[in-house]
Amino acid sequence: MIQEKIIIKNEVGLHARPAAQFVKIAEKYQSKVRLCKNGVWVNGKSVLGILTLAAEHGSEVILEVSGPDELEAFNELKKILEAE
Amino acid sequence: MDENKNFIEEPIKSIYVSTLFRDQKENLKLELIAGEEGLKLRKLVTPDINRPGLALAGFTQEFPKERIQILGSTEISYLKTLSATQRKNAINNVVSFTPPCLIIANELTPPEGLVALANKYKVPVFKSALETTQLIHMLTTYLDYKLAPETYLHGDLVDVYGVGLLLVGESGIGKSECALDLVERGHRLVADDLIKVLKRSEVVIIGFSAAKSPKLKHHIEIRGVGIVDIYALYGIRAIRMQKRIEVQVELVRYTKDLDYERVGIEDKYTEILGVKIPLVQIPVIPGKNLALVCEVIAKNYLLKILGYSPAKSFNEELVRLMTQKNIEEAKIDPWIDYDIE
Repeated sequence: MIQEKIIIKNEVGLHARPAAQFVKIAEKYQSKVRLCKNGVWVNGKSVLGILTLAAEHGSEVILEVSGPDELEAFNELKKILEAE
Repeated sequence: MDENKNFIEEPIKSIYVSTLFRDQKENLKLELIAGEEGLKLRKLVTPDINRPGLALAGFTQEFPKERIQILGSTEISYLKTLSATQRKNAINNVVSFTPPCLIIANELTPPEGLVALANKYKVPVFKSALETTQLIHMLTTYLDYKLAPETYLHGDLVDVYGVGLLLVGESGIGKSECALDLVERGHRLVADDLIKVLKRSEVVIIGFSAAKSPKLKHHIEIRGVGIVDIYALYGIRAIRMQKRIEVQVELVRYTKDLDYERVGIEDKYTEILGVKIPLVQIPVIPGKNLALVCEVIAKNYLLKILGYSPAKSFNEELVRLMTQKNIEEAKIDPWIDYDIE
């Protein structure tokens, strides 16, 4: 399992477009993907779950990936969260 | 993806003048006065019409000879002012181009010499009791309809809450079963399998069953059962003769790499006969209720027509929240104080 704190760099936060991109990538992998903000954990393969976090610009989220392909999944997903 | 992959053919359309005469004799109050031999010879290829005033006067450059030529009181009065020879030349200017046909409006008397020339060149000439403008209007409407571009598609066309949903997808994916499910839920079938599509304007395409007889329409093939008659099974409420195609729903076999919509902010489109219509791609997963999804697609489309895009509104509100300061402290649930359980 890989877990890391990530700061959202998107100008308006994690809105629909990046969230959809995140979910599409997450779905490619077998690993379980979870996101956490302020103690609330959501499924990283559910777009509505991610959007409910309302992770604004500069906020801190925890990305957790666990499974057989966790390393590749983690690296790819981290890029999306950190994209500006 | 190849957006036109479900197209089968697109024939170039034309009709014989005899067809026009057969269909519109009563409606346009037509009487054939010359050129009968041309009825099955001359073809109409365009809904445009022409008033041949300039050609009668001698200017024949760029004469639109493929159009129906309409003679109204202006043309007839002009011909009356000419001498017999001049008139013959004037008429010859038009008729020698062998346009599909001539129609004299307003029940005016045909000019002398026209009948002989029309017979010579085998150009049908009709007299109409209609007033010129009305004649042109009705004629154009008829020709627009008859000459509208058409094509044939494979799929199912169902009227769902008044929205014409065209279901497409590879053979055996469940289009017909989905259509049957929609009928069961109270919606109306237009056609199964082969659908004839007619372009009625730059933005409107109408679909109907390609079956040649009414008794052959509204049948669905259900694998394992065979052909079932929707009218016999569900009655008059379950069928429709034609419907504007408004949304294309493509059933796609689900694979891991399939890129399907998750949010719905970006609309996809496809084109049928050059008309742009929204495209929704649905991954087919076992246990999924496709008819239910189709109903949601239709209702979502109706909301979008009214200017409400659920996904866009959702995102706008989210962005508004995320860009305001102290998002965590913001009182975003004012109602909860009054709704304690």
